[in-house]
Amino acid sequence: MDKIIKTLSTLTIFFLIWHLIVTISRIPSYILPNPTEVFKAMQENSLSIYLNSIITLRESFLGFFIANLISVSIALGIAFNKNIENTIMPFAITLKTIPVIALTPLLVMWFGPGECSKIATAALICFFPSLINVLRGVKSLDRDLIIFFKAYSASKIQLIRMLIIPSILPYLFSALKVSSSLAVVGALVGEFIGSNKGLGFLIISNYYTLNTPYVFATITASSLLGIIFYYTIHLVERRIITWTVTID
Amino acid sequence: MGLICVDKLEKYYSNSRLLAVKNLNFTIEKGEFVSIVGPFGCGKTSILNIIGGIIDDYKGSIMINGESPSEARKKRKIGYCFQKPNLLPWLSVLDNILLPQKIANIREGNEKAIELLKMVGLKDYALMEPYNLSGGMQQLVSITRSLILDPEILLLDEPLSSIDEINRSKMQLKLLEIHKKTKKTTVMITHSINEAVFLSDKIIILTPRPATIKKIVEVTFLQRNEMTMFSKRFIRYVKIIKEELINGQDN
Repeated sequence: MDKIIKTLSTLTIFFLIWHLIVTISRIPSYILPNPTEVFKAMQENSLSIYLNSIITLRESFLGFFIANLISVSIALGIAFNKNIENTIMPFAITLKTIPVIALTPLLVMWFGPGECSKIATAALICFFPSLINVLRGVKSLDRDLIIFFKAYSASKIQLIRMLIIPSILPYLFSALKVSSSLAVVGALVGEFIGSNKGLGFLIISNYYTLNTPYVFATITASSLLGIIFYYTIHLVERRIITWTVTID
Repeated sequence: MGLICVDKLEKYYSNSRLLAVKNLNFTIEKGEFVSIVGPFGCGKTSILNIIGGIIDDYKGSIMINGESPSEARKKRKIGYCFQKPNLLPWLSVLDNILLPQKIANIREGNEKAIELLKMVGLKDYALMEPYNLSGGMQQLVSITRSLILDPEILLLDEPLSSIDEINRSKMQLKLLEIHKKTKKTTVMITHSINEAVFLSDKIIILTPRPATIKKIVEVTFLQRNEMTMFSKRFIRYVKIIKEELINGQDN
Protein backbone atom coordinates (compact mmCIF):
# COMPACT_ATOMS: atom_id res chain seq x y z
CA MET A 1 0.00 0.00 0.00
CA ASP A 2 2.83 2.32 0.96
CA LYS A 3 4.53 1.53 -2.35
CA ILE A 4 1.37 2.36 -4.33
CA ILE A 5 0.97 5.70 -2.54
CA LYS A 6 4.62 6.55 -3.25
CA THR A 7 4.25 5.66 -6.95
CA LEU A 8 1.02 7.65 -7.29
CA SER A 9 2.58 10.67 -5.55
CA THR A 10 5.61 10.55 -7.87
CA LEU A 11 3.34 10.34 -10.93
CA THR A 12 1.18 13.24 -9.69
CA ILE A 13 4.26 15.40 -9.10
CA PHE A 14 5.57 14.45 -12.57
CA PHE A 15 2.31 15.45 -14.30
CA LEU A 16 2.09 18.63 -12.24
CA ILE A 17 5.60 19.72 -13.26
CA TRP A 18 4.82 18.82 -16.87
CA HIS A 19 1.60 20.84 -16.74
CA LEU A 20 3.36 23.85 -15.15
CA ILE A 21 6.22 23.84 -17.68
CA VAL A 22 3.78 23.73 -20.62
CA THR A 23 1.49 26.43 -19.15
CA ILE A 24 4.21 28.82 -18.01
CA SER A 25 6.41 28.45 -21.09
CA ARG A 26 3.40 28.49 -23.43
CA ILE A 27 4.83 25.65 -25.49
CA PRO A 28 2.56 24.94 -28.50
CA SER A 29 0.49 21.76 -28.25
CA TYR A 30 2.06 20.19 -31.37
CA ILE A 31 5.52 20.39 -29.68
CA LEU A 32 4.60 19.33 -26.14
CA PRO A 33 0.93 18.92 -25.26
CA ASN A 34 -0.50 19.46 -21.83
CA PRO A 35 -1.07 16.22 -19.85
CA THR A 36 -4.80 16.99 -19.83
CA GLU A 37 -4.78 17.10 -23.64
CA VAL A 38 -3.06 13.72 -23.70
CA PHE A 39 -5.68 12.25 -21.35
CA LYS A 40 -8.40 13.74 -23.52
CA ALA A 41 -6.85 12.26 -26.69
CA MET A 42 -6.63 8.94 -24.88
CA GLN A 43 -10.30 9.08 -23.91
CA GLU A 44 -11.52 10.14 -27.36
CA ASN A 45 -9.50 7.52 -29.22
CA SER A 46 -9.70 4.74 -26.66
CA LEU A 47 -11.32 2.24 -29.02
CA SER A 48 -8.82 2.84 -31.80
CA ILE A 49 -5.89 2.65 -29.35
CA TYR A 50 -7.31 -0.55 -27.85
CA LEU A 51 -7.83 -2.28 -31.22
CA ASN A 52 -4.38 -1.31 -32.47
CA SER A 53 -2.82 -2.37 -29.14
CA ILE A 54 -4.22 -5.85 -29.69
CA ILE A 55 -2.51 -5.99 -33.10
CA THR A 56 0.83 -4.80 -31.70
CA LEU A 57 0.51 -7.19 -28.77
CA ARG A 58 -0.14 -10.13 -31.11
CA GLU A 59 2.84 -9.26 -33.30
CA SER A 60 5.18 -8.73 -30.38
CA PHE A 61 4.02 -11.89 -28.60
CA LEU A 62 4.49 -14.07 -31.69
CA GLY A 63 7.93 -12.54 -32.37
CA PHE A 64 8.85 -13.01 -28.72
CA PHE A 65 7.64 -16.63 -28.78
CA ILE A 66 9.50 -17.55 -31.98
CA ALA A 67 12.75 -15.90 -30.81
CA ASN A 68 12.69 -17.64 -27.45
CA LEU A 69 11.73 -20.99 -28.94
CA ILE A 70 14.68 -20.81 -31.34
CA SER A 71 17.12 -19.64 -28.67
CA VAL A 72 16.05 -22.38 -26.21
CA SER A 73 16.37 -25.02 -28.96
CA ILE A 74 19.86 -23.78 -29.87
CA ALA A 75 20.92 -23.65 -26.20
CA LEU A 76 19.69 -27.22 -25.64
CA GLY A 77 21.59 -28.31 -28.75
CA ILE A 78 24.73 -26.66 -27.39
CA ALA A 79 24.23 -28.47 -24.05
CA PHE A 80 24.77 -31.76 -25.86
CA ASN A 81 27.11 -30.68 -28.63
CA LYS A 82 29.55 -27.83 -28.06
CA ASN A 83 30.33 -27.68 -31.83
CA ILE A 84 26.89 -26.14 -32.42
CA GLU A 85 28.05 -23.12 -30.41
CA ASN A 86 31.09 -22.61 -32.69
CA THR A 87 28.85 -22.81 -35.75
CA ILE A 88 25.98 -20.63 -34.58
CA MET A 89 27.57 -17.98 -32.37
CA PRO A 90 29.55 -16.13 -35.08
CA PHE A 91 26.34 -15.94 -37.12
CA ALA A 92 24.32 -14.77 -34.10
CA ILE A 93 26.94 -12.13 -33.20
CA THR A 94 26.99 -10.86 -36.81
CA LEU A 95 23.21 -10.62 -36.69
CA LYS A 96 23.47 -8.67 -33.45
CA THR A 97 25.87 -6.11 -34.94
CA ILE A 98 23.39 -5.21 -37.72
CA PRO A 99 20.87 -2.63 -36.40
CA VAL A 100 17.41 -4.19 -36.64
CA ILE A 101 15.97 -0.85 -37.82
CA ALA A 102 18.26 -1.06 -40.87
CA LEU A 103 16.92 -4.53 -41.62
CA THR A 104 13.23 -3.65 -41.26
CA PRO A 105 12.71 -2.42 -44.87
CA LEU A 106 14.22 -5.69 -46.08
CA LEU A 107 11.96 -7.68 -43.78
CA VAL A 108 8.93 -5.82 -45.19
CA MET A 109 10.15 -6.71 -48.68
CA TRP A 110 10.64 -10.36 -47.77
CA PHE A 111 7.62 -10.96 -45.55
CA GLY A 112 5.22 -8.41 -47.02
CA PRO A 113 3.59 -5.38 -45.41
CA GLY A 114 1.33 -7.54 -43.24
CA GLU A 115 1.88 -8.78 -39.69
CA CYS A 116 4.58 -11.28 -40.70
CA SER A 117 7.26 -8.63 -41.21
CA LYS A 118 6.46 -7.10 -37.80
CA ILE A 119 6.64 -10.51 -36.14
CA ALA A 120 10.00 -11.07 -37.85
CA THR A 121 11.29 -7.69 -36.61
CA ALA A 122 10.16 -8.45 -33.06
CA ALA A 123 11.73 -11.93 -33.24
CA LEU A 124 14.98 -10.54 -34.60
CA ILE A 125 15.30 -7.90 -31.89
CA CYS A 126 14.52 -10.46 -29.13
CA PHE A 127 16.66 -13.29 -30.42
CA PHE A 128 20.19 -12.35 -29.36
CA PRO A 129 19.53 -11.19 -25.77
CA SER A 130 17.39 -14.28 -25.28
CA LEU A 131 20.05 -16.61 -26.69
CA ILE A 132 22.78 -15.09 -24.51
CA ASN A 133 20.70 -15.48 -21.36
CA VAL A 134 19.58 -19.05 -22.01
CA LEU A 135 23.11 -19.98 -23.03
CA ARG A 136 24.38 -18.66 -19.69
CA GLY A 137 21.90 -21.02 -18.04
CA VAL A 138 23.16 -23.99 -20.04
CA LYS A 139 26.77 -23.10 -19.27
CA SER A 140 26.07 -22.80 -15.57
CA LEU A 141 24.68 -26.37 -15.42
CA ASP A 142 26.16 -28.19 -12.46
CA ARG A 143 28.64 -30.74 -13.87
CA ASP A 144 28.29 -32.89 -10.75
CA LEU A 145 24.54 -33.12 -11.27
CA ILE A 146 25.08 -34.22 -14.88
CA ILE A 147 27.44 -36.95 -13.57
CA PHE A 148 24.78 -37.91 -11.02
CA PHE A 149 22.17 -38.34 -13.78
CA LYS A 150 24.71 -40.25 -15.88
CA ALA A 151 25.46 -42.54 -12.92
CA TYR A 152 21.79 -43.46 -12.75
CA SER A 153 21.70 -44.08 -16.52
CA ALA A 154 19.28 -41.22 -17.27
CA SER A 155 18.27 -40.85 -20.92
CA LYS A 156 18.82 -37.57 -22.79
CA ILE A 157 15.10 -36.79 -22.58
CA GLN A 158 15.18 -37.36 -18.79
CA LEU A 159 18.27 -35.18 -18.53
CA ILE A 160 16.52 -32.36 -20.42
CA ARG A 161 13.22 -32.74 -18.57
CA MET A 162 14.47 -33.37 -15.05
CA LEU A 163 17.70 -31.36 -14.95
CA ILE A 164 18.41 -28.99 -17.84
CA ILE A 165 15.00 -27.30 -18.20
CA PRO A 166 14.50 -26.65 -14.44
CA SER A 167 18.14 -25.54 -14.12
CA ILE A 168 17.90 -23.00 -16.93
CA LEU A 169 14.44 -21.73 -15.93
CA PRO A 170 15.75 -18.75 -13.90
CA TYR A 171 17.92 -17.75 -16.89
CA LEU A 172 15.05 -18.38 -19.29
CA PHE A 173 12.78 -16.08 -17.29
CA SER A 174 15.48 -13.44 -17.26
CA ALA A 175 15.62 -13.84 -21.08
CA LEU A 176 11.83 -13.64 -21.34
CA LYS A 177 11.71 -10.46 -19.25
CA VAL A 178 14.39 -8.75 -21.33
CA SER A 179 12.84 -9.82 -24.62
CA SER A 180 9.25 -8.94 -23.59
CA SER A 181 9.90 -5.19 -23.72
CA LEU A 182 12.19 -5.57 -26.73
CA ALA A 183 9.45 -7.45 -28.59
CA VAL A 184 7.10 -4.45 -28.26
CA VAL A 185 9.86 -2.16 -29.55
CA GLY A 186 10.44 -4.56 -32.48
CA ALA A 187 6.77 -4.65 -33.42
CA LEU A 188 6.53 -0.82 -33.22
CA VAL A 189 9.60 -0.37 -35.44
CA GLY A 190 8.09 -2.83 -37.90
CA GLU A 191 4.84 -0.88 -37.92
CA PHE A 192 6.64 2.41 -38.59
CA ILE A 193 7.59 1.07 -42.01
CA GLY A 194 4.91 -0.05 -44.43
CA SER A 195 1.94 -0.66 -42.18
CA ASN A 196 -1.64 0.50 -41.86
CA LYS A 197 -2.40 -0.82 -38.40
CA GLY A 198 -0.87 -1.20 -34.96
CA LEU A 199 0.37 1.33 -32.41
CA GLY A 200 3.46 2.09 -34.52
CA PHE A 201 1.23 3.06 -37.42
CA LEU A 202 -0.89 5.29 -35.11
CA ILE A 203 2.26 7.07 -33.86
CA ILE A 204 3.63 7.69 -37.36
CA SER A 205 0.29 8.73 -38.95
CA ASN A 206 -0.52 11.17 -36.12
CA TYR A 207 3.01 12.54 -36.24
CA TYR A 208 2.46 13.41 -39.92
CA THR A 209 -0.72 15.36 -39.02
CA LEU A 210 0.99 16.98 -36.00
CA ASN A 211 -1.63 15.46 -33.70
CA THR A 212 0.91 15.31 -30.89
CA PRO A 213 -1.55 14.61 -28.01
CA TYR A 214 -2.66 11.48 -29.90
CA VAL A 215 1.01 10.53 -30.46
CA PHE A 216 1.60 10.88 -26.69
CA ALA A 217 -1.51 8.84 -25.93
CA THR A 218 -0.30 6.06 -28.25
CA ILE A 219 3.22 6.13 -26.76
CA THR A 220 1.64 5.75 -23.30
CA ALA A 221 -0.36 2.75 -24.58
CA SER A 222 2.81 1.17 -26.05
CA SER A 223 4.59 1.68 -22.77
CA LEU A 224 1.67 0.11 -20.87
CA LEU A 225 1.79 -2.84 -23.26
CA GLY A 226 5.46 -3.41 -22.45
CA ILE A 227 4.80 -3.06 -18.71
CA ILE A 228 1.88 -5.55 -18.79
CA PHE A 229 3.93 -7.99 -20.85
CA TYR A 230 6.89 -7.73 -18.45
CA TYR A 231 4.88 -8.08 -15.26
CA THR A 232 2.86 -11.03 -16.58
CA ILE A 233 6.15 -12.89 -17.07
CA HIS A 234 7.37 -11.69 -13.69
CA LEU A 235 4.23 -13.08 -12.00
CA VAL A 236 4.52 -16.42 -13.80
CA GLU A 237 8.18 -16.57 -12.78
CA ARG A 238 7.31 -15.99 -9.13
CA ARG A 239 4.76 -18.79 -9.25
CA ILE A 240 7.06 -21.28 -10.95
CA ILE A 241 10.46 -20.56 -9.41
CA THR A 242 9.90 -21.08 -5.73
CA TRP A 243 13.41 -22.21 -4.86
CA THR A 244 16.37 -19.93 -4.01
CA VAL A 245 18.26 -18.93 -7.11
CA THR A 246 21.67 -17.37 -7.53
CA ILE A 247 22.38 -16.24 -11.06
CA ASP A 248 26.08 -15.66 -11.56
CA MET B 1 35.86 -64.45 -5.01
CA GLY B 2 34.94 -61.01 -3.74
CA LEU B 3 32.00 -58.85 -4.74
CA ILE B 4 34.31 -56.27 -6.32
CA CYS B 5 37.48 -57.57 -7.95
CA VAL B 6 39.96 -55.04 -9.29
CA ASP B 7 42.76 -56.54 -11.33
CA LYS B 8 45.72 -54.64 -12.85
CA LEU B 9 43.76 -51.41 -13.10
CA GLU B 10 45.44 -48.61 -15.00
CA LYS B 11 44.02 -45.22 -15.82
CA TYR B 12 45.44 -42.28 -17.74
CA TYR B 13 44.09 -38.77 -17.21
CA SER B 14 41.61 -37.96 -19.97
CA ASN B 15 43.24 -36.41 -23.06
CA SER B 16 46.63 -36.86 -21.47
CA ARG B 17 49.51 -39.32 -21.37
CA LEU B 18 49.79 -38.82 -17.64
CA LEU B 19 49.28 -42.03 -15.68
CA ALA B 20 46.83 -41.53 -12.81
CA VAL B 21 46.45 -45.08 -11.51
CA LYS B 22 48.98 -47.89 -11.98
CA ASN B 23 48.58 -51.63 -11.55
CA LEU B 24 45.90 -51.62 -8.85
CA ASN B 25 44.77 -54.97 -7.47
CA PHE B 26 42.32 -55.47 -4.64
CA THR B 27 39.20 -57.36 -3.70
CA ILE B 28 36.21 -56.19 -1.69
CA GLU B 29 33.98 -58.76 -0.03
CA LYS B 30 30.21 -58.54 0.23
CA GLY B 31 29.08 -56.38 3.13
CA GLU B 32 32.53 -54.88 3.70
CA PHE B 33 33.08 -51.18 4.40
CA VAL B 34 36.25 -50.19 2.58
CA SER B 35 37.90 -46.80 2.62
CA ILE B 36 40.42 -45.54 0.11
CA VAL B 37 42.88 -42.99 1.46
CA GLY B 38 45.73 -41.25 -0.28
CA PRO B 39 47.26 -37.87 -1.03
CA PHE B 40 45.42 -35.17 -3.01
CA GLY B 41 45.23 -35.77 -6.74
CA CYS B 42 46.28 -39.41 -6.63
CA GLY B 43 43.23 -40.57 -8.56
CA LYS B 44 40.94 -41.73 -5.75
CA THR B 45 37.81 -40.25 -7.32
CA SER B 46 38.81 -41.74 -10.69
CA ILE B 47 39.03 -45.19 -9.05
CA LEU B 48 35.59 -44.72 -7.52
CA ASN B 49 34.12 -43.49 -10.80
CA ILE B 50 35.63 -46.49 -12.61
CA ILE B 51 34.09 -48.90 -10.07
CA GLY B 52 30.82 -46.99 -10.45
CA GLY B 53 30.85 -47.39 -14.24
CA ILE B 54 30.92 -43.61 -14.78
CA ILE B 55 34.41 -43.69 -16.34
CA ASP B 56 35.05 -46.48 -18.80
CA ASP B 57 38.36 -45.61 -20.44
CA TYR B 58 40.68 -47.69 -18.28
CA LYS B 59 42.94 -50.70 -18.65
CA GLY B 60 42.73 -53.88 -16.60
CA SER B 61 39.72 -55.66 -15.31
CA ILE B 62 37.02 -54.81 -12.79
CA MET B 63 34.25 -57.23 -11.98
CA ILE B 64 31.27 -56.48 -9.80
CA ASN B 65 29.64 -59.76 -8.97
CA GLY B 66 30.78 -61.11 -12.34
CA GLU B 67 29.67 -58.04 -14.32
CA SER B 68 31.49 -55.03 -15.70
CA PRO B 69 30.95 -51.75 -13.79
CA SER B 70 28.91 -50.20 -16.60
CA GLU B 71 26.64 -53.27 -16.68
CA ALA B 72 26.22 -53.05 -12.92
CA ARG B 73 25.48 -49.33 -13.26
CA LYS B 74 22.87 -49.91 -15.94
CA LYS B 75 21.22 -52.57 -13.75
CA ARG B 76 21.18 -49.97 -10.95
CA LYS B 77 23.22 -52.13 -8.60
CA ILE B 78 25.28 -49.15 -7.46
CA GLY B 79 24.28 -46.26 -5.21
CA TYR B 80 26.24 -43.02 -5.45
CA CYS B 81 26.91 -40.26 -2.98
CA PHE B 82 29.18 -37.49 -4.17
CA GLN B 83 31.30 -34.88 -2.40
CA LYS B 84 28.50 -32.35 -2.83
CA PRO B 85 24.96 -33.38 -1.84
CA ASN B 86 23.79 -32.71 -5.45
CA LEU B 87 20.18 -32.20 -4.41
CA LEU B 88 17.84 -30.57 -6.90
CA PRO B 89 16.65 -27.30 -5.29
CA TRP B 90 13.26 -27.40 -7.02
CA LEU B 91 12.36 -30.77 -5.51
CA SER B 92 11.44 -31.53 -1.92
CA VAL B 93 13.65 -33.78 0.22
CA LEU B 94 11.28 -36.68 -0.47
CA ASP B 95 11.25 -36.08 -4.24
CA ASN B 96 15.03 -35.84 -4.25
CA ILE B 97 15.23 -39.24 -2.59
CA LEU B 98 12.76 -40.64 -5.12
CA LEU B 99 14.74 -39.22 -8.06
CA PRO B 100 16.75 -42.40 -8.87
CA GLN B 101 13.42 -44.30 -8.89
CA LYS B 102 11.93 -41.79 -11.31
CA ILE B 103 14.97 -41.99 -13.58
CA ALA B 104 14.68 -45.80 -13.50
CA ASN B 105 10.95 -45.49 -14.27
CA ILE B 106 10.10 -47.49 -11.16
CA ARG B 107 6.61 -46.64 -10.03
CA GLU B 108 6.65 -47.45 -6.35
CA GLY B 109 5.03 -45.47 -3.62
CA ASN B 110 6.74 -43.19 -1.16
CA GLU B 111 6.79 -45.83 1.58
CA LYS B 112 10.38 -46.92 1.06
CA ALA B 113 11.67 -43.35 0.94
CA ILE B 114 9.75 -42.51 4.12
CA GLU B 115 11.14 -45.62 5.77
CA LEU B 116 14.69 -44.62 4.82
CA LEU B 117 14.10 -41.06 6.04
CA LYS B 118 12.85 -42.51 9.31
CA MET B 119 16.01 -44.62 9.55
CA VAL B 120 18.27 -41.58 9.22
CA GLY B 121 16.06 -39.41 11.43
CA LEU B 122 14.90 -36.98 8.73
CA LYS B 123 11.26 -38.04 8.39
CA ASP B 124 9.99 -34.66 9.58
CA TYR B 125 11.92 -32.90 6.82
CA ALA B 126 10.44 -34.95 3.96
CA LEU B 127 8.39 -32.15 2.45
CA MET B 128 10.93 -29.38 2.97
CA GLU B 129 13.04 -27.88 0.21
CA PRO B 130 16.73 -28.87 0.47
CA TYR B 131 17.95 -25.28 1.00
CA ASN B 132 16.15 -25.23 4.36
CA LEU B 133 18.44 -28.02 5.60
CA SER B 134 21.96 -27.71 7.00
CA GLY B 135 24.93 -28.99 4.99
CA GLY B 136 25.14 -32.15 7.10
CA MET B 137 21.44 -32.88 6.70
CA GLN B 138 21.67 -32.34 2.95
CA GLN B 139 24.50 -34.84 2.77
CA LEU B 140 22.45 -37.28 4.84
CA VAL B 141 19.61 -36.87 2.30
CA SER B 142 22.13 -37.60 -0.44
CA ILE B 143 23.26 -40.79 1.37
CA THR B 144 19.62 -41.78 1.89
CA ARG B 145 18.95 -41.21 -1.82
CA SER B 146 21.81 -43.57 -2.71
CA LEU B 147 19.92 -46.34 -0.86
CA ILE B 148 16.54 -45.91 -2.55
CA LEU B 149 17.13 -48.45 -5.34
CA ASP B 150 18.44 -50.97 -2.80
CA PRO B 151 21.84 -51.21 -4.53
CA GLU B 152 24.39 -53.93 -3.86
CA ILE B 153 27.20 -51.39 -3.57
CA LEU B 154 27.40 -47.92 -2.11
CA LEU B 155 30.04 -45.56 -3.44
CA LEU B 156 30.75 -42.57 -1.22
CA ASP B 157 33.10 -39.88 -2.52
CA GLU B 158 34.26 -37.86 0.49
CA PRO B 159 30.68 -37.58 1.69
CA LEU B 160 31.53 -35.75 4.90
CA SER B 161 34.34 -33.51 3.68
CA SER B 162 32.32 -30.29 3.74
CA ILE B 163 30.83 -30.81 7.20
CA ASP B 164 32.16 -29.19 10.38
CA GLU B 165 33.97 -31.33 12.97
CA ILE B 166 31.10 -31.78 15.47
CA ASN B 167 28.49 -32.65 12.87
CA ARG B 168 31.03 -34.82 11.11
CA SER B 169 31.34 -37.04 14.21
CA LYS B 170 27.55 -37.33 14.36
CA MET B 171 27.41 -38.16 10.67
CA GLN B 172 30.10 -40.81 11.06
CA LEU B 173 27.96 -42.49 13.71
CA LYS B 174 24.98 -42.21 11.36
CA LEU B 175 26.98 -43.81 8.53
CA LEU B 176 28.04 -46.59 10.88
CA GLU B 177 24.41 -47.13 11.87
CA ILE B 178 23.29 -47.17 8.22
CA HIS B 179 25.99 -49.71 7.36
CA LYS B 180 25.03 -51.90 10.33
CA LYS B 181 21.38 -51.85 9.33
CA THR B 182 21.71 -52.20 5.56
CA LYS B 183 24.91 -54.30 5.37
CA LYS B 184 25.66 -52.69 2.01
CA THR B 185 29.09 -53.20 0.51
CA THR B 186 30.51 -49.70 0.80
CA VAL B 187 33.50 -48.06 -0.81
CA MET B 188 34.33 -44.63 0.58
CA ILE B 189 36.96 -42.09 -0.30
CA THR B 190 38.11 -39.92 2.54
CA HIS B 191 40.95 -37.63 3.55
CA SER B 192 40.28 -38.23 7.21
CA ILE B 193 42.29 -41.11 8.63
CA ASN B 194 40.16 -41.09 11.80
CA GLU B 195 37.00 -41.41 9.73
CA ALA B 196 38.47 -44.26 7.69
CA VAL B 197 39.60 -46.18 10.80
CA PHE B 198 36.32 -45.59 12.61
CA LEU B 199 34.09 -46.78 9.78
CA SER B 200 36.05 -49.28 7.74
CA ASP B 201 36.73 -52.98 7.80
CA LYS B 202 39.54 -52.45 5.33
CA ILE B 203 41.58 -49.37 4.37
CA ILE B 204 43.37 -49.16 1.05
CA ILE B 205 46.31 -46.75 1.28
CA LEU B 206 47.43 -45.26 -2.02
CA THR B 207 50.75 -43.71 -3.01
CA PRO B 208 50.96 -40.31 -4.75
CA ARG B 209 50.31 -40.23 -8.50
CA PRO B 210 50.46 -42.61 -10.26
CA ALA B 211 48.44 -44.26 -7.51
CA THR B 212 49.48 -47.75 -6.54
CA ILE B 213 48.57 -49.62 -3.39
CA LYS B 214 50.97 -48.81 -0.56
CA LYS B 215 49.26 -51.06 1.93
CA ILE B 216 45.90 -52.59 2.73
CA VAL B 217 45.08 -52.43 6.42
CA GLU B 218 42.41 -54.70 7.91
CA VAL B 219 40.65 -52.92 10.78
CA THR B 220 38.96 -54.85 13.53
CA PHE B 221 37.27 -53.61 16.67
CA LEU B 222 35.22 -55.61 19.12
CA GLN B 223 32.67 -52.86 19.08
CA ARG B 224 32.35 -49.51 17.34
CA ASN B 225 30.77 -46.59 19.14
CA GLU B 226 31.50 -42.99 20.23
CA MET B 227 34.26 -44.23 22.56
CA THR B 228 36.09 -46.27 19.90
CA MET B 229 38.02 -43.21 18.78
CA PHE B 230 39.63 -42.91 22.19
CA SER B 231 40.86 -46.51 22.38
CA LYS B 232 44.53 -47.46 22.10
CA ARG B 233 43.75 -49.78 19.22
CA PHE B 234 42.16 -46.91 17.26
CA ILE B 235 45.15 -44.65 17.85
CA ARG B 236 47.51 -47.45 16.77
CA TYR B 237 45.62 -47.88 13.48
CA VAL B 238 45.69 -44.14 12.86
CA LYS B 239 49.45 -44.10 13.52
CA ILE B 240 50.09 -46.99 11.10
CA ILE B 241 48.08 -45.37 8.32
CA LYS B 242 49.61 -41.94 8.87
CA GLU B 243 53.10 -43.43 8.69
CA GLU B 244 52.27 -45.32 5.51
CA LEU B 245 50.90 -42.17 3.90
CA ILE B 246 53.96 -40.12 4.90
CA ASN B 247 56.33 -42.90 3.73
CA GLY B 248 54.47 -43.10 0.45
CA GLN B 249 54.85 -39.36 -0.11
CA ASP B 250 58.55 -39.37 0.85
CA ASN B 251 59.27 -42.17 -1.61
